[in-house]
Amino acid sequence: MGEPAIAVHGLRKSFGTKEAVAGIDLEIAAGSLAGLVGPNGAGKTTSLSMMTGLLRPDTGRVVVHGLDVWADPPAAKAIMGVVPAEARLFERLSGQELLEYAGRLRGMPAAEARSRSAQLLDVLDLTADAKRLVADYSTGMRKKAALGCALIHNPAVLFLDEPLEGVDPVSADVIRRLLTRFVGSGSTVLFSSHVMELVEQVCDHVSIIDKGKIVATGTTDQVRGGKTLQQAFIDLVGTKASGAEGLSWLGSSSS
Amino acid sequence: MARLLVQLKLRLLTNALRSSRPARISFIVSTFFAVLVAVGTFVTLALLRGQSAPVTQTAAVFTVFAFGWLILPLFTFGLDGTLDPATLALYPLRTRPLAVGLLAASATGAWPLANVLGLLGVTVGLARGVLGELTAVVAVLLQVLFCITLARFVTTGLAGLLRSRRGKDLAAFLVIPIFALYEAFTQVVPRLAAEGKITATTFAGIDKWLRWLPPGLAAHAIQDASAGHAGAALLRLGLLAAVIAVLGGLWIRSLDRALVTVDTSTQSSAVHGASLPFARSGIRGAVAARYLIYQRRDPGSVVRWFITAVVMVAASVSTIRTPHYHVALILSAVIGAGMLCIFQANSVGITGPAFSLEATALAGARSLRGYFSGRDLALAVIAVPLLAAVSFGLAAFAGHPADGLWAVAIDLAAIGAALALSSLYTVVLAYPAERRAGTPLPTAAGGHGGQAFAAAMGSLFGVALVSAPAILAVELTSSVPGAVRVPVLVLGAADYGIVLAWAGVRWAAAIADHRLPELFQVAARSKL
Repeated sequence: MGEPAIAVHGLRKSFGTKEAVAGIDLEIAAGSLAGLVGPNGAGKTTSLSMMTGLLRPDTGRVVVHGLDVWADPPAAKAIMGVVPAEARLFERLSGQELLEYAGRLRGMPAAEARSRSAQLLDVLDLTADAKRLVADYSTGMRKKAALGCALIHNPAVLFLDEPLEGVDPVSADVIRRLLTRFVGSGSTVLFSSHVMELVEQVCDHVSIIDKGKIVATGTTDQVRGGKTLQQAFIDLVGTKASGAEGLSWLGSSSS
Repeated sequence: MARLLVQLKLRLLTNALRSSRPARISFIVSTFFAVLVAVGTFVTLALLRGQSAPVTQTAAVFTVFAFGWLILPLFTFGLDGTLDPATLALYPLRTRPLAVGLLAASATGAWPLANVLGLLGVTVGLARGVLGELTAVVAVLLQVLFCITLARFVTTGLAGLLRSRRGKDLAAFLVIPIFALYEAFTQVVPRLAAEGKITATTFAGIDKWLRWLPPGLAAHAIQDASAGHAGAALLRLGLLAAVIAVLGGLWIRSLDRALVTVDTSTQSSAVHGASLPFARSGIRGAVAARYLIYQRRDPGSVVRWFITAVVMVAASVSTIRTPHYHVALILSAVIGAGMLCIFQANSVGITGPAFSLEATALAGARSLRGYFSGRDLALAVIAVPLLAAVSFGLAAFAGHPADGLWAVAIDLAAIGAALALSSLYTVVLAYPAERRAGTPLPTAAGGHGGQAFAAAMGSLFGVALVSAPAILAVELTSSVPGAVRVPVLVLGAADYGIVLAWAGVRWAAAIADHRLPELFQVAARSKL
C-alpha cells in the first residue's frame, strides 16, 4: 500500500473519567470505501469527530493525504468532506441555498457553487424540492442534502457518520450509488454504520471498534473470516443474553 | 375516560416536578404565578364594590381571561400532551367520552383553579344578595367552562397547523402583539392614567360590545341577578350555556375529524429566489447572505428585532416628553444596541448543530474574519435603519425631530460596539442553547444560566462604556450649530462604529481560530 489516504495514530479521548477512545490506530488506502462499525457507545462518533477536526483529541495524530488535521487544519479541511451523524442543517435555507452556501463557504465562486449544487441536487433526486426549506425535509432528504454539502467542493476524502440511519430504502440506494461512484473516481470514503449488510455489500475495508479500541481491521473478507460480517461482529464484541424468559405472556398463543 | 385523562394530566404535572431542574423551576414559577393571578384577580374584582360601573370592568376582566385561554394554548401546544388529538389517535377511543375526558383534563391544574378562584372575586365586587351570589358562582363556572371549550376548539381545529413548521412559526409570531400589549400596559397605560388621559369612563363605550360576548353575558347575568332581575339573569346564563354547547358540539366534530385526518405537517410550499445574494463577496458574502435570510425567515430573529424596537421605545417613554428628552434618546440608542449585543452574544450557540457545516469548512483566521464580518454586515443592514427609525420617531414624538440626527450618531457608534462585543462574547462565552416548546427564543441550556447572565450584563454595560466617546461628543458639542455639528458627529460616529466592529472581527477571528473545535462542541450541544 502506498501513502494511506487516512492514517490515525494513537488517538485518545476521555470525557472526565470515561475513556471514549482508548488509543486507536487505523490506515485506510486511497480509493477505499471503508466502514467503521461498532455497538452504540463504542466510540465511532468520537473517533470520526477527532478525525475531521471537530473534536480535539487528548493525544494522537490524524493525517489525511499527508496533511495533519490538527497541525494544519486549513489544508486538511480543504480536502475533506464531512456528514455528521444527525445531519442538522440550516433549516431556514432551501435545499439549493444550502448547497450553494456550503460551496461558497469553501471559497468556490458563486456561479460554480450554484451550478454544482444544481447537479448534485439532480443526482440526489432533490431537484423537485430544491426550493423548499430544509426544515420541511424528511430524514432521508436531509441526509442527501448533507451529503451534497459534503461533496460540493469535490473532497479527496469523505467522512460520514451513520449516513443511512433512518433513511428510506430509495434514498439509501441513491446515497449508496453516489458513494460507490465517488470512490470509483479514486476518492476515499470512511463511514460509520450499524447496518452490517450495507457495510458487507459496499465496503472493501472494515474496522470494528468496541469500547474505544479497534478490535479488528482489514479487508472485508479478512474481518469476516468466512462468516457473515454480522456473525463476525457479534463474535468479536459479544452479545447480551436475551433474558426473554420473563416474557412468557408474549405471543399469540398466550392469553 | 374522564378519570383516566385527569390522572394522566396530574401525572404529567407531577412528573414535571421530578424531571430536570429547569422543568422543575418552570413548574414552580408557573404555579407561583397562578397563585399570584388568582389572588390579584380576586382582589381586583372585589375592589370594584361600590364603584360607578363595576359590571363594565368585570366584563372586561372576563374578556381578558377568555382571550388568554384563546392564545396561550397555542404556545403550550407542545408542552401539554393532552392538547394534541394526534397523541390519542392510535387508541380505540370513542369521541364523546374522549371529549369529556379532554375537557376534564383541561380543567385540571393550577391555572384553571386559579381562574375559578380569582374570578370568584365577583362574589364580593359585583354580586348582591343571595340570588346575586348564587348567579355569580354559576356564571364564573360557566365562564371558565366557556374558556376551556374555546381553547380546546381552537387547538383541535389548528392541531395539524400547530404540529407543522409553519404553525410553530405563526405561534412564535404571536409573541409580538403579546409583548407589545405587555409593554403598553406596563409602560404606557400607567403614564396616561397618571396624566389623567385614561379614566374609568374611557371604557364606558366598550360595554356596549362586551355585554353581548360570552364573558360579558356572564358578568351582566350577575349584575341582573343582583338587581333582582332573575329572568334576565337566567336568560343570559342560558344564552351563555347555549354558546358553550354549540362550541362544544363544533369541537367534538372537529375532534372526530382530527382523529382520522392524515397528518399534513410535512407539506410545504417553495421559497422565492432560491439563490444566495452577495455572489461576489466570497465567504463574507455567503455568511452575510445566510444571516440575512435567517433574519427574515427565522421567527426567533424577527421577534428579536421587534423586542429591540419595543424596548428602545419603552426605555424612553417616561422622559421623552419632558425637557430631559435628550437623555431618553441617548438611553434608547444605547439600550437598543445593548439588546442587539445580548441577542447576538451567543451566535454560535443559537446557530446550533448546523454550525458543523461552517466548522468543517472554515479554518484559519482569514476565513473566520470573513465569517464574523459577514455576520456583522447582515446584522448592521437591519440594525442601522431600525435603530435610526426608532430614534427619529422618538425625537419627533419629543417635538424635536432634528435631534434625531445626533441620536443616529449614537446609534451608529453603539451598533459598532454591539457587533464588536457580541463577536468577542460568542467566541469566549459561547454556551449551548435550547428552545423549549412554547417559546420562540432559545434560552441557555441547563447549567449555563450564569454565562447567559454574564453575557447580558456584559452586553448592556459594555455597549454603554464603549459608546461613551460618542455620547460625550454629542453632549460636549450641544452649543455648536447643527449644520456643522450633525455631519461631523454622524460621520465620526459611523467611522468609530466601523473601527470597533472591525477590531471585534479581527480579535474574535484570532480567538476562534484556536477554539473552533470547542465552539463546535458547544453548538452541537444546543437543542433547537
